[in-house]
Amino acid sequence: MLRKEQNDLLTQTGPGTPMGQLFRRYWLPALLAEELPENECPPVRVKLLSERLLAWRDTQGRLSLMDEFCAHRGVSLWFGRNEENGLRCPYHGWKYDHTGQCIEVPSEPEESGFCKKIKLKSYPLVERGGILWTYMGPPELKPPLPEWEFALVPEDRRFVSKRLQECNWLQALEGGIDSSHVSFLHSGELNKDPLFKGSKGNQYNLSDRKPVFEVVESPGGLYIGARRNAENGNYYWRITQWVMPCFTMIPPRADHPVHGHFWVPIDDENCWAWSFDYKVMRPLTHEEVQAMRDGQGIHVKYVPGTYRPLANKDNDYLMDRAAQKRGDTYSGVEGIAMQDASLQESMGPIVDRTKENLVSTDNGIIMMRHRLLRTLKAMEKGETPPGLDLAHQRVRSAAIVLPPDQPYKDAAREALMVQPGKAHVSV
Amino acid sequence: MQTESARMSSAKEARFRIDAPNSLQRATKVIALDAPSEHVVKRLATRPWNGAAFFTATAFGAAPSRGASLRGWLSDLAGRTKSLVDEVNSADLVVMVATAGENVPAASLIGEACSLKRVTTTALIAGSAGKSDDVLAKTLSQLRPWALMLVIANSDDYIEDMLRALRA
Repeated sequence: MLRKEQNDLLTQTGPGTPMGQLFRRYWLPALLAEELPENECPPVRVKLLSERLLAWRDTQGRLSLMDEFCAHRGVSLWFGRNEENGLRCPYHGWKYDHTGQCIEVPSEPEESGFCKKIKLKSYPLVERGGILWTYMGPPELKPPLPEWEFALVPEDRRFVSKRLQECNWLQALEGGIDSSHVSFLHSGELNKDPLFKGSKGNQYNLSDRKPVFEVVESPGGLYIGARRNAENGNYYWRITQWVMPCFTMIPPRADHPVHGHFWVPIDDENCWAWSFDYKVMRPLTHEEVQAMRDGQGIHVKYVPGTYRPLANKDNDYLMDRAAQKRGDTYSGVEGIAMQDASLQESMGPIVDRTKENLVSTDNGIIMMRHRLLRTLKAMEKGETPPGLDLAHQRVRSAAIVLPPDQPYKDAAREALMVQPGKAHVSV
Repeated sequence: MQTESARMSSAKEARFRIDAPNSLQRATKVIALDAPSEHVVKRLATRPWNGAAFFTATAFGAAPSRGASLRGWLSDLAGRTKSLVDEVNSADLVVMVATAGENVPAASLIGEACSLKRVTTTALIAGSAGKSDDVLAKTLSQLRPWALMLVIANSDDYIEDMLRALRA
């Protein structure tokens, strides 16, 4: 349970809000690189942290993310002409460069220099790992570019997708660190989904459906460990990573690609669920990539021409009651991502956390909220939030069998950090 | 036409959710297992709670024999002796609070009683920041067999947030 003011604090990320200021300290995924495929391609509308922006790529390939609207009369520059190193408003011809600087106002004498007085707000936009990242915070506090492992492996070892989720970002993130729902909601997928099936870890999952949890603070966020009995008195651990503010990484299964998410606010009632899969030591196979494109694993099929899931609230998520009854799927919704999203969206755009009844197994969620609230207080005193240090980003999730007495953050220390040239520790 | 899912998940429809209590008061028993935790629990106990009761098990001292387990005693914060079995019997949740590096022999007694009575246990190890893994392991190994949820927090300010979140 949260008090209303706490819920508001954590769920509101617009300009000037404390949580919005926290998000604005990090490089965030803004677009897939494929959305701006070539120089002078059509601009793309982007809304992030409740700000309406426009992404475009100029004649020289320079990337731009700036205020969507012309400074003159407020026309959307999505209608603009992307030409000769600038984006020109089609209404009266005002032209902007990739920094948002107005470089031409045709109605004014060129000698007057009027255009120099006009500049749209803009943010840096940088490509890394198939994603265009932006930083929307104070320029003097801009951190180094992100070093998430998946974004640094060769292109053929990575697959990234994004999908629209029509609820507040925190609901989505909470699903990402809620390990206890897997045994129910996704139970149909463990032995069926091509990106999950066949691991020994699945046997532990299915033979011990009452895991015990350990939540441990990490430098950048949290480790959330789920423990099940293994052979010879040992424990099988699945250790999820959360790194502030919105990165989660799911423990691997066998040699399947490792996956994770970013949960990025669009506004207070929508977010982007970014999903990545990668392997460190080998390229993804054709079959793996095809499965991801087909919406398997943590990815989805789209409404053609959009990043909205094909199964969405406008078609009742293609609910199949017969499949639910047969046990093909636990909830009747197909696919891991939409099984989660359908339930999280059903809570409403921003769930009222004053009414919830959390239980002991929700401690991962409780601790995550606690750390966010603690960080907001610390930022008031000028402290740097966790997750900015690149060492906090060089993390891995792990699936590992360990002796019973050791703290897993100690016994699995190496497995939980990026180990160049070594595969993920997986069972 | 909008589907039910689309219409019912809108902010407009959220306003029509029933505004009535959806749970009864829980009986949460918070037990300090060592002297530093006792200070924390005593401080917490002075605040308003939704029925949570606070105890200390530090008087157990050295590890009791297993045969004596269910004859264990707790103390409330006024120093009155309380029966472990009685308190566990009337609990929905038992929260054991320990400090990293401390010896917590009472954990097995309390855990055993909770296990017997099928009461959920949560263990919280606070003050782990700056403590070595060996020091942490000492406390952890005593709690792990008895906690369905174990939290290792850097500081003790988490305890209050956790208890509030659990409507304690």
